[in-house]
Amino acid sequence: MRTFLFKRLPSGLAVLVAASFTVFLMLRLIPGDPATTLAGPDASPATVAAIRERLGLDAPLLSQYLHWLGQVLTGDLGPSYAIGGQVSELIGDGLAATFQLTLAALLLVVVLAVPTALYAASGRRRPLAGALRALTTGALAVPPFVTGVLLVLVFAVGLGLLPAGGHASLFDAPDLAVQYLALPALCLALPSAAILARYLQDGLERALGEDYVRNATALGVSRRRILWRHALPNALPSAVTVLGLQIGQLIAGAVVVERIFAWPGLGQLIEQGVSRRDYPVVQDLLLLVVAGYVAVQLLTDLLYSWLDPRVRWE
Amino acid sequence: MTELIDRPPLVEQPPSPTAELLRVRELHVSFGERAAVRGVDFALGAGESLGIVGESGSGKSTTALALLRMLPAGGRITGGSVELDGRDLAALPEEALRAVRGKRIAMIFQDPMSSLNPVLSVGRQLDEALRAHGERRPKAERASRAVELLELVGVPKAASRLGDFPHQFSGGQRQRIMIALALAHDAQVLVADEPTTALDPTVQRQILRLLARINRERGTALVVISHDLGVIAETCSRLLVMRDGEVVEQGATTLLLTAPRHSYTRTLLAAVPRLDAPSRAAANSTPGAEPLLVVRGLAKGYGPRRRRNAALESVDLELHPGETLGLVGESGSGKSTLARALVGAHAPDAGGISFAGQPLDGRRARREIQMVFQDPYASLNPRLTVGRIIAEPLIAHRVGDRAQRQARVAELLEQVGLEASAAARSPREFSGGQRQRIGIARALAPEPSVLVCDEPVSALDVSIQAQVIDLLARLQRELGLAVLFIAHDLAVVRQVSHRIAVLHRGRIVESGPADRVVTAPEHPYTAELLAAVPSLPTPTAGSLL
Amino acid sequence: MTTLSLPSSAPLLRPRNRYVAGLLTWRGVTGLVLVGVVALAGLLAPWLTDADPDAQGAQALAGPSGAHPLGTDDIGRDLLSRILHGILTDLSIILTAVPAGALIGAALALLAATSRAADLVVQRLFDLVLSFPGLILGLAVTAILGPGRWPVVIIIALAEVPYFGRQLRAGVLVQREREYALAARVGGAGRARVLLRHVLPNAVDPLIVQGAVALSVGVFIEGALSFLGLGVRPPQPTLGSLISGSVAYLDTDPLLAAAPLAVTTALVLGFTLLAEALNRGARS
Repeated sequence: MRTFLFKRLPSGLAVLVAASFTVFLMLRLIPGDPATTLAGPDASPATVAAIRERLGLDAPLLSQYLHWLGQVLTGDLGPSYAIGGQVSELIGDGLAATFQLTLAALLLVVVLAVPTALYAASGRRRPLAGALRALTTGALAVPPFVTGVLLVLVFAVGLGLLPAGGHASLFDAPDLAVQYLALPALCLALPSAAILARYLQDGLERALGEDYVRNATALGVSRRRILWRHALPNALPSAVTVLGLQIGQLIAGAVVVERIFAWPGLGQLIEQGVSRRDYPVVQDLLLLVVAGYVAVQLLTDLLYSWLDPRVRWE
Repeated sequence: MTELIDRPPLVEQPPSPTAELLRVRELHVSFGERAAVRGVDFALGAGESLGIVGESGSGKSTTALALLRMLPAGGRITGGSVELDGRDLAALPEEALRAVRGKRIAMIFQDPMSSLNPVLSVGRQLDEALRAHGERRPKAERASRAVELLELVGVPKAASRLGDFPHQFSGGQRQRIMIALALAHDAQVLVADEPTTALDPTVQRQILRLLARINRERGTALVVISHDLGVIAETCSRLLVMRDGEVVEQGATTLLLTAPRHSYTRTLLAAVPRLDAPSRAAANSTPGAEPLLVVRGLAKGYGPRRRRNAALESVDLELHPGETLGLVGESGSGKSTLARALVGAHAPDAGGISFAGQPLDGRRARREIQMVFQDPYASLNPRLTVGRIIAEPLIAHRVGDRAQRQARVAELLEQVGLEASAAARSPREFSGGQRQRIGIARALAPEPSVLVCDEPVSALDVSIQAQVIDLLARLQRELGLAVLFIAHDLAVVRQVSHRIAVLHRGRIVESGPADRVVTAPEHPYTAELLAAVPSLPTPTAGSLL
Repeated sequence: MTTLSLPSSAPLLRPRNRYVAGLLTWRGVTGLVLVGVVALAGLLAPWLTDADPDAQGAQALAGPSGAHPLGTDDIGRDLLSRILHGILTDLSIILTAVPAGALIGAALALLAATSRAADLVVQRLFDLVLSFPGLILGLAVTAILGPGRWPVVIIIALAEVPYFGRQLRAGVLVQREREYALAARVGGAGRARVLLRHVLPNAVDPLIVQGAVALSVGVFIEGALSFLGLGVRPPQPTLGSLISGSVAYLDTDPLLAAAPLAVTTALVLGFTLLAEALNRGARS
């Protein structure tokens, strides 16, 4: 815990500060007069002036940066340029939907990966193991945009079981919301589930080959107990790290998945922001994603040190 | 010579009519095509102790693993039986075998660090061992039994340490915990595979005493596997010598050690360095009067500045030309740090090293002082040919052109007893002893005057050990080298050294002529080290220490 | 002088040979065949079809025919030609970006090996890039550079830099502590020589596996960016843009999606299988 507080937390914060500065500098990297470029060719002089004012382009870099940080911390992010409306509101609208999607996907990742890995590592040469292995390779090898298209093709177009896209509020119509959520969450979860399953299976198999498992076997501990009580605790810490990294992939993958399934989340917003060069939206969203991701990393590190006594006590 | 081929008849089994607990008949084990164990035959009575000794590749560990059918992947019992109380374990179905393992017959493995689960507390692991077999005992009862077991093997403050994890114990304590695990169900047979190889001599002695005590007091039959005859002589009343998967000779330990019948046993015994044998260094070379290498107040620490761990507190040393100085110390004494500081791999924190009266700079050190490493596998770059490995120092010091270097490599290879054709091959193609010769050739390449040997023979079998020691002695005679011989094995050190220095916690606690340090130690730590060396009865009568 | 005779054969495989052995398993062979067939089809595109991938014909969304073996897309372009040229685009992108990413990552890892301070800076740099997960990094770069072919190359290279860099850094750290590295140093080799001639050759092997993974990730990233309309500018075909363009016609013309889906999957699956085969070979 002390190692965490004194070493990991500061380095996480340092990365966050560096990332925010990088995001901030992005705007200034655009060639030419950023305000004119940002406003676009058709913008009125008033818009250009508004942009210049908001960016405070005349002020020194550091004070511009601090000003922006201040905006972020107060939650008042000012107006967007191209999309329309306040940035804070735009983000607020999409956040819930994206959170729902990634959380559902995260649950699916765990639910799909952990039993798969345990089953595959349990060692018996069951016929299912080979099929599972092929399935995970497939899920690993097929990009999410391909999986998404395939899922729509099979479940929506072919079988007509689930809607091809859209979104319903979880509170107003829960059953409909789950139907809408199913395909995008599955599409988002599959590659990460495959990766987690692979790592966990790998970790379990490595642990099963270790001397301490041999020792437990020599003591007469049953195979089942060895898998669950001896190998799993050893494989878990690194699996948690992989899961943490995969949460990043889920956040990133959500952008594509939201596009395929017309899911009204932040992915749509950032995509619009980038293609329409709405910089305040892009900037603030990038910072949000990076901050969230760094926080997830810190949490997984904390979990790791809780799971692994060698780290815990150092 | 004929004796090597004609195996003498096996020594009659000592009759143990009370109970023939374990009976191994014509055991054969194969890894694929390769037969690792061929027709091993022995019996073990209740409360008896049997040592199995042999060099690497003799099949001794495979035999031990086959007793519990714990063979690694690819290994298979291809013939014979392992009968425990009349039941053949080799033919038992897996589930029935599980009920026997840990309950009737238990095992202790070599490396206690890797054999304990790093993420489970010691209490949890003992609990796992206790609940592995049948009877559902309440949790509290299991916990108190766990404390009992830890106390039995001599872990201090046992009750308060159940929640601790393996990395929080010392190496010796870990091995004690391993023994506690194996004793969880009072197994009748305890198989120990190289139980002390990873441990320091003083700790080794404690563990061996513990095993002997368990054998004596609890009547647990012991099977101890070791490459070290001394270890077995200390713990086992009967001895079985193996070579190439076959039993060469077996019999009562004292009889076998004093009057071996088979020539292989005799060779093996002759190769074991004995602590009571006087130093042979004087016959080899006479050291010069003026010291060549002088170390004064050398200190080196590791870690961050504020919490620095001192590996070397303050070391003073002198090494004369043509002299072998034996440096003895246990793990953590700082001997490897000292070696690395001498060859200029680490800058010391304080103190100085002078060579031939002048302060030693890095460039000079890299020519005049060369090093021979412990691990003959890790110390040779697997990507280079042997010739290139030996030529590397010549290239680095810009010695000669290509053809001259080639000639020098061939000369060096011959000097260490290898064929010149070895230059074109990969180090992987050589055995441990041959690799060590390659390492020595590399060290000799820049014509150094000092050779630092860091545990040069501890990874080798005794017979190979003797060859490498002979080689070093010959090189010293021919080239007048000064040798710093670092080792933990006092018997080897006495044999090769003119003088011995004892390193303890970063300081030299004692130094003096080799024979004097061994026969009349002045420092209590030296005496403790000497007492820890397992003694071996001498084949010829008398002259026991 | 006694001379020990040498063993006559080499029973152990050298590290490099283990990778070759890995490739000769069913995984490796399948991967090689998949990648080989797809790559060959792309490279031979000008000879396999004489249809211009960008030429719009009269028939939109036509079924397979003699003139158009796979039919035409929504504005009448020959699908086969677009797929073949799309493969070519993807291959040229990943084969530029991945080696570039590997080289930069390796250079940074070597820089990190020179001093503690450099190591700290390089590590934080990797952390910084990695704090933008996957596609988010792509969006950030596109936000500055705009869409296009070179931004895609830059994104893929940048995304791979920390993975190659970290892997090599870890390898160097392990190998540097091995005794042979110390032996080289004691033998008089300078720091640079030890690092470049002794440590590096023993540490680069894992990068082979990483390379195969990176190639499949490259196809992923190109496809995802194209899918979002932020990739290579139209009308130049890429595998991603072909899939993305077909989505609207999924229920009426599934062939439009099926063909590029199959090719993309084959390519990525091929790279994934190669990576697995190499990895298993290395661990055996």
